[in-house]
Amino acid sequence: MDNFNSLIADAELGSFSTLMDDADLIYLYDGTLEGMLSSVFAAYGRHEHPKNIVEAHDLQESMLCSYVPIRTELRYAARVQKGIVEQLGDRAYEDVKKVFLSDDTNKGGVIYRFLRYAFKAGRWSMSHISEPPVADFLEIRKQVENEAHYMLMFVRFAHLQNGVFYAHIEPKASVVPLITDHFARRLNVQPFIIYDSVHGLASVFDTERWWLVSSDEINLPAHSCVEDDYQALWQTFYDTIAIEERRNPRCQRNFMPKRFWGNMCEHIPPELRKTKPSTETPTHAARLQAGSQKLLDAPL
Amino acid sequence: MELLDKLTILADAAKYDVACTSCGVSRKAVKGQLGNTMNAGICHSFSADGRCITLLKVLYTNMCSYDCTYCINRRSNEVPRTTLTPRELAELVIGFYRRNYIEGLFLSSAVLKSPDYTTERICEALQLLRETYGFRGYIHAKAIPGTSDDLLVRLGVLADRVSLNIELPSEESLRLLAPEKGKESTLGPMAFVRDGIKANFQDKQLSTIKRTRFVPAGQSTQMIVGATPESDYQILKLSASLYKTMELRRVFFSAYIPVNADPLLPAGVETPLLREHRLYQADWLMRFYEFDVNEIIDEGEPFLDPLVDPKCNWALRHIDQFPVELNKAPYEMLLRIPGIGVRGAKRIVQARRHRSVRFEDLSRLKISLKRAKYFITCNGAYAQGVIFDPSSIYNQLAGETKKRRAKGVLDGQLQLLDS
Repeated sequence: MDNFNSLIADAELGSFSTLMDDADLIYLYDGTLEGMLSSVFAAYGRHEHPKNIVEAHDLQESMLCSYVPIRTELRYAARVQKGIVEQLGDRAYEDVKKVFLSDDTNKGGVIYRFLRYAFKAGRWSMSHISEPPVADFLEIRKQVENEAHYMLMFVRFAHLQNGVFYAHIEPKASVVPLITDHFARRLNVQPFIIYDSVHGLASVFDTERWWLVSSDEINLPAHSCVEDDYQALWQTFYDTIAIEERRNPRCQRNFMPKRFWGNMCEHIPPELRKTKPSTETPTHAARLQAGSQKLLDAPL
Repeated sequence: MELLDKLTILADAAKYDVACTSCGVSRKAVKGQLGNTMNAGICHSFSADGRCITLLKVLYTNMCSYDCTYCINRRSNEVPRTTLTPRELAELVIGFYRRNYIEGLFLSSAVLKSPDYTTERICEALQLLRETYGFRGYIHAKAIPGTSDDLLVRLGVLADRVSLNIELPSEESLRLLAPEKGKESTLGPMAFVRDGIKANFQDKQLSTIKRTRFVPAGQSTQMIVGATPESDYQILKLSASLYKTMELRRVFFSAYIPVNADPLLPAGVETPLLREHRLYQADWLMRFYEFDVNEIIDEGEPFLDPLVDPKCNWALRHIDQFPVELNKAPYEMLLRIPGIGVRGAKRIVQARRHRSVRFEDLSRLKISLKRAKYFITCNGAYAQGVIFDPSSIYNQLAGETKKRRAKGVLDGQLQLLDS
């Protein structure tokens, strides 16, 4: 980042010529949404058509391109935001934010080209699905939405000793902000944490509201006394429900790509599963007889 | 018996049931209660056979007083038998739901003593889950042929979807293989549930339940294909009439898997999944593509072509209606083009409102030319390299199928769910 800031200083001292061939021009931003929107603002301000807008961090420099680092200016970003909302509608701004959650390193350029097109073509441009700038934008939006949907399917919560349900995910886009509402509605009776270790982002729900926490690491208590039992029940169900004569691993992986398996307890191989001797904890039957009230009070 | 062992027995006994969908009803979450439902449904895992797992699919009991020839749970089979208690079942559902393993419960059952006795036990279990545990997730309950009206009302208020299995595609087959389940004992309750959905039947004893729509996700049924000699024509005619007269949401097919040896059953022959797949394709054409059953199949050729899907088949038999001009054809005609689905047709309509559609646009519209290219023009021209020759199209399409199978791609899994 120091390097990035000194580049900006250079750029603003005028050591850059604005007469560059646009085809080779690449803007660099600091990786924030505001930085990306500032870059869009800069392209209009500088009368340029950058080929791409990329995060300085992701940069793989090429001799053939000229790089212009763009300083993040909140007021410029706000003006672009206002322009999007006023000219293209609230939904369009939501979509820009959604596309920005993608891990695609070209997302900046895709958003920029979409906005260039849309500011010219008007409010209905989102429906011009055969135009490349719109198609590319919608493609990334779809990838982000698909990744979010995969999470609704495959997130697995484990019950911890402190009563919190915890899920670890490794998505290809930073979808925690998109999926937490779903779980906060559905599972409103239990506190939970969803932690995305790839993007270092967690959502924390306390049964009333949820918020985001940035963190590169997380310290967790052990599983509660019932957790391993439930995992064993689920693993048993999962293995039993398959029809052996119809085994079809290709189809299975097609619907449920392997990259998700690491965070799903039904995919823990039998030799690594925790089987607890039943003498240590009360059996299910004993707990079941303990009465319903206790079960309703305590998260299962 | 430990719960783990019970679950093993009762999930194993339920696995041949096909339906595992959680769609068709949208119910909002309520503060302080667990669960909601989404109209589109959510799959939560996929088993080793590639089938989706969205519900905890178990039998309430596998102790059966019937002796249906094709069924693993027939009373003459010597298998371990067990029954869940309502509390065990509720704990399983709640525990799995809180961990995001499932959308809800699919509860079926063997016939313990009598249909009414069994249904009462099932209602007890569901009532505990809904009222005491406040569960608002999805529940699909099997109704047993011959269940009385009062109990169907209670079941329909507790569950989101109710299904009665037609089991086999003809009355003769049913009499032969499942003599205790008659045609009338299935169709009677089915018609009752249909009327109940229209009239929104209520059960006064269940007044504490807030959600009171009767069977909000509708009815479905399933039948075994290939255990008995009915043709695809008979099967599709039957499903078309069930959609029409019984207003079912879904008819499921299950390719016959031999689980019992019995002189009345075909010996050791599995029905190819491809047949099931073709039947589902035909079913899709009826439900989403506005095809009439008589357009798909006729008595003269009572089995669907294994090499070419039913939509291609229709197109080839009506080749005078092709090629279709993508920029001019009405939506209904776009839907009839092989290789173009509901989404594709809608995208074309949306895109051509802005400007005319060209071949190079189609990949951006996510439309594959693999099959469609033989049947379309853009602005009057065919796709590059395509010669419109009706006589060779069949061979080219059939060749694709053969090539795919040679590569070891299995037909018959519901890839259609994607489209």
